[in-house]
Amino acid sequence: MTRLFSLLLLVIAVAGCATSTPVDISANSTQLQTRQIQTRQYETLDKAMTMRSVIATLQDLGFTIDQADAELGTITATRHHQYAMRMTVTVVKRDEKRVSVRASARIGENAVKDAATYQDFFVALDKAMFLTAQRVD
Amino acid sequence: MHRYRASLAVVLVAGLAGCAAKPPYPEDALRLEESTLEVRAVQTRKIEAPSEATILAAMIAVLQDMEFHIDRIEKPLGLISASKISDADDQGEQRFLYFLDILCSAGGGYGCGYRGTAKDTQKIVLTMVALPSYSGSSEYSVRITMHRNILDKEGRVKLMERITAPEIYQIAFDNLRKAMFIEVSES
Repeated sequence: MTRLFSLLLLVIAVAGCATSTPVDISANSTQLQTRQIQTRQYETLDKAMTMRSVIATLQDLGFTIDQADAELGTITATRHHQYAMRMTVTVVKRDEKRVSVRASARIGENAVKDAATYQDFFVALDKAMFLTAQRVD
Repeated sequence: MHRYRASLAVVLVAGLAGCAAKPPYPEDALRLEESTLEVRAVQTRKIEAPSEATILAAMIAVLQDMEFHIDRIEKPLGLISASKISDADDQGEQRFLYFLDILCSAGGGYGCGYRGTAKDTQKIVLTMVALPSYSGSSEYSVRITMHRNILDKEGRVKLMERITAPEIYQIAFDNLRKAMFIEVSES
């Protein structure tokens, strides 16, 4: 009886890991949480130069740029190194003083969700934005 | 019995720990590498040009010279994306397979054609960006980044890699300087 109960417990524990495959259209975390993790604001007047800084950062990180649209402020990029990683970055002018940069990434079939990985991206972008602001070639 | 329960508890904890959320990708996926500055230096050159349009025209021309297909151009950002699909077989492999073919034919064998088995293709993807000088001079900072995917006959990816060899970038920049010279002298 004890063994039967133990077996049942084991089956439940393992079954807890199993997932079905729903049509994955919406994200798992809340929209607001995701946006906070993926977005930074920069005090600059220049959307185009911000986009150029994003492109430089992506190149530093080993990405090649798939496409960019200066008017819409979108940049999509891919990195093929050990695994395929895709990034979409949008640059939006918020008001007369600020530009908002949002980055979202996927590695293979997984969306990148952890804050630390996006933090690494924005640390790299901060450096590029600083050089741009200081007008360093 | 006591030991049995203890081991069952260990199994259960291990089973549940397997469900714990750990990102299924490297933690440093978007962290700058220490070699970033050296790589950037390899991929970047300062080039003098009378206007952004001239340097973009030279960039397009050199990509055509190198048999690339232009995928995208975003003029306001000085950005060009291009790609090219070509034969990935190295000459050493070709020679070896050619030798096998000769041996096979000499032995009167059928179904030779070893060289055909090595027919991998590579897709090289390239980004070229021209950044105007902040100091207002007529110099542009041109940066090229490349990666390649090698695919076998069935289209399966055999290798994905960033191209970092300095000599490859040097060839591209030498060609760009020549294209720039032609562009300026023709205009």
